[in-house]
Amino acid sequence: MIETGITKLDDYLMGGIPNGKSLVYYIHPGVEGNVFGMQTLYHNLAEGSKCVFIASSSDPLMIKDTFKEFGWNLDAHKENLIVVDAYSGLVGATSNEKYVVEDPESIDSLNGTIEKVMEELDESSTIMFESLSTIMDLCGEKETIDAIKNWNMHGMLYEHVLIYNFTAWPYEPETLDLIKHELFDAVITVGGIAERVIFGQYFGVLKAEWSDIELKSMLFRVLRPGGIRIYIPKIVVTGPYNAGKSTFVHALSTRAVSVDRIGTTVALDHGHVDHKGFSADIFGTPGQERFDPIIKMLSGEAMGIFLVVDSTNTKDFVRAKQMLEITKAYGLPLVVIANKQDQSGALKPEDIRSHFNIPESVQILPAVADKGVGVFEAFEALVDKITEVA
Amino acid sequence: MANVIEMLEKILADTKKVGGVEASVIASRDGLLMASNIPSSSARAETFAAMSATMLGAAETATTELGKGIPDRVIVESEHGKLIATGAGPKALLVVLTDPNAGLGLILVELEKAAEKIKKIV
Repeated sequence: MIETGITKLDDYLMGGIPNGKSLVYYIHPGVEGNVFGMQTLYHNLAEGSKCVFIASSSDPLMIKDTFKEFGWNLDAHKENLIVVDAYSGLVGATSNEKYVVEDPESIDSLNGTIEKVMEELDESSTIMFESLSTIMDLCGEKETIDAIKNWNMHGMLYEHVLIYNFTAWPYEPETLDLIKHELFDAVITVGGIAERVIFGQYFGVLKAEWSDIELKSMLFRVLRPGGIRIYIPKIVVTGPYNAGKSTFVHALSTRAVSVDRIGTTVALDHGHVDHKGFSADIFGTPGQERFDPIIKMLSGEAMGIFLVVDSTNTKDFVRAKQMLEITKAYGLPLVVIANKQDQSGALKPEDIRSHFNIPESVQILPAVADKGVGVFEAFEALVDKITEVA
Repeated sequence: MANVIEMLEKILADTKKVGGVEASVIASRDGLLMASNIPSSSARAETFAAMSATMLGAAETATTELGKGIPDRVIVESEHGKLIATGAGPKALLVVLTDPNAGLGLILVELEKAAEKIKKIV
């Protein structure tokens, strides 16, 4: 089994892709999707396994630079990477690669070379097709469909994993249907989304023959360098006055700005977190009641909530509960931060639970926000809830 | 649905053609970035969107509390430029940054047109 190297996707696939299976990244035009196949290839190179890159739409000499944009250095893994050159033949250039497709416009020529590579590899490997759509454009739809069946059969026999990048240009509906439902063991859709006010790119599992995990779409962003990150456009941090919300936002964020006057937030804290494959924007609300209209306005479309409470101040717990109502937090993933744990008289998370009547399903985590203690644990707990695998 | 994004980006590109406009953003009323046209990558469009939504929202709350109805726009003037935030339908808002010498007249007319268009799309 190999991993895709994409946060959360491996969870959906129950660990990754078993040997002998095929997976296609089905990419809607206009979406940054080709990075998916690249990230899977690079992840496996970095794990020390053998990989094959079938270059159909870029010059093998340029591939290195494309990977470098994401911070991935192919030279460090040269001995494990085989590039099949299905490009130079198109532009009449000579090739330095061991495996060259003489005529990339002929499916037989392509078939011959790819079969040969698969047979000659001495171990189970990851084979990545840079662009199945380019092959289709050059060789024809029907011809390519027959070839895919052949490659996948070969992959199964020799226990290789086959990864395809496919951009869903307007091909024949039957072709697209075959690709989505028939030809591959797993189909990951990568598309654009404009739902209510959440605009962005998502991926989801359309099908995975070996996994029965339900489909859930994930928003993502592509960082250069960095590659694919699960993107969470809004996490709201709320809580009573002086609980340490702004401190929490700043402790968590790589970059944050606050609108504060005389030591208290009057409008908003806004921060950005990039942590363990997740990228999130954090909105911190003011705490005082006079700002309630702003809190109400800013908490729309939140995907998760942090409720920060001062563990030494039980009087404020009523207000804290009220703030969950103002932010319409009920039903959203919620993590309670029991802040100021280093101060005397601080209640333990479990005492807060009984004082506060918080159901067992909601996590209460200890933190000392001004020392940065517990903030990333809390972040991981919340994104886990937001992206929970059903 | 990706074409909604493209339409919003076209509106921003058209707004940019008005003399003096340096950057523009479409955000949701609750502060999420929908589309942006910002030349330097140093500014984080997400933060700009969140703060503009807060500003406009606070201004609207302030004036309605005083019984003066909803403001048409918020204009912030500084030595280095002007920032204009205006509602674009119930869900979105449009914000532009201009250079300090930009004439407001034409910009406000164009903003109103753009806001009308956004209102129809979002």
